[in-house]
Amino acid sequence: MIEVRVSREMYEAMRADLARPHEFAAERVGFSMGRIGITASGCMILLTRYCSVPDEHYIDDPTVGARIGTDALTAVAHAIYHGRAKAEGVFHVHVHEHYGKTGMSRTDKAELPKLVPGFRSVGPQAPHGIIIWSLDHAAAWVWLPGSSEPVRADKTSIVGAPISVFREEWLS
Amino acid sequence: MNQGRTSRQSFLGPDSDERIASITVGVVGLGGGGSHVVQQLAHIGFRDFVIYDDDVVEDSNLNRLVGGTSGDALSLLPKLDIAQRTIHGLVTGARVRGFACRWQNQPEALRECQIVFGCVDSYVGRSELEVSCRRYLAHYIDVGMDVHGTNPPIIGGQVVQSSPGGACMRCMGYLTPARLSEEAARYGEAGARPQVVWPNGVLASTAVGLAVDLVCDWTKKRRRAEYLVYDGNKGTMLQSVTLNHVDLASCPHFPVGDLGEPFEVEL
Repeated sequence: MIEVRVSREMYEAMRADLARPHEFAAERVGFSMGRIGITASGCMILLTRYCSVPDEHYIDDPTVGARIGTDALTAVAHAIYHGRAKAEGVFHVHVHEHYGKTGMSRTDKAELPKLVPGFRSVGPQAPHGIIIWSLDHAAAWVWLPGSSEPVRADKTSIVGAPISVFREEWLS
Repeated sequence: MNQGRTSRQSFLGPDSDERIASITVGVVGLGGGGSHVVQQLAHIGFRDFVIYDDDVVEDSNLNRLVGGTSGDALSLLPKLDIAQRTIHGLVTGARVRGFACRWQNQPEALRECQIVFGCVDSYVGRSELEVSCRRYLAHYIDVGMDVHGTNPPIIGGQVVQSSPGGACMRCMGYLTPARLSEEAARYGEAGARPQVVWPNGVLASTAVGLAVDLVCDWTKKRRRAEYLVYDGNKGTMLQSVTLNHVDLASCPHFPVGDLGEPFEVEL
């Protein structure tokens, strides 16, 4: 079993950043750094910090909600590189503005997994992945070190006041 | 939906049953404090437990061990078995992972908890639990009581909530170098400490109340930290005055983002 866990404080900072309007992009994306912790049931991805994407790193592309350029990906690669000593990987994050269980859109499926091989080449010992938040749920895909295929997280927890736990099986 | 047995706690929120059932809760120490905590969590409807205690029930425990019977003491039943019996007797289909060992020997299950109750005797034990909870983003709620003096004896105790990102037990003035070093100096001294059932009940109930609020958010207080001091002679539970001088929303001892197992950096 894989759980993704984030502090309420970091979650709210991330949501606030992603909710900011952009000059031309219809939505924002971001990146969270994360480390693996070993648990009795499998492992946990502990999100350690959030990296906002600067306005100027977006590309004007009206065919998608948001597109980021090479500057953004270079910054992410630097973050992964500097996190190598503590096996800190990166997770692409964005929000789907609806309630309930969420998943990858057609565009997400076509575009987001293509980012991961680049993340893995810079930080092969770290976990990487994709996290999509809805307004009251989440879905996450994790590429564990050494694996070229993602694993869907079974649970996502926001720990703070209040605690929120989103389990996959409840709504499937 | 709150139905049947939880209909009388529907004020906790329309989705409180689901929220409570979604949490993995840990209880370390199943004696005077922990036995109360486990029983109350089961009554409330928590379903996923990780519990630790390596001790058995003896006759001297029966003045305070909730759920323990004379027969249990005669057969030297593990305290773990009593806690499991209590939970399964109240929650059909509960998942209980019990460990008859020190939690440090099997820490992986404890890491899955979003809330951990520490019902342990030592300051160093509390400190170690808090560190683990911080590194794995869990709330730590400490429960402890003691009896001091003789003329008259004074019953004291505390409930401390240490949460990720908020003030820790050192920040709040509960874990101090003086207390830790004094305890270290007393290491190995024999002698059972006085314990009675009713202060444990008050303290455990207060701790469980904090946990339910963290899960259901029914008071909207959204505590980042808490330190409540019990005076058993006066019958009061008051917030520690040390909190007047503490920034509850930050902690210099546990940097935000310092999560997971410690790592080595080559210099």
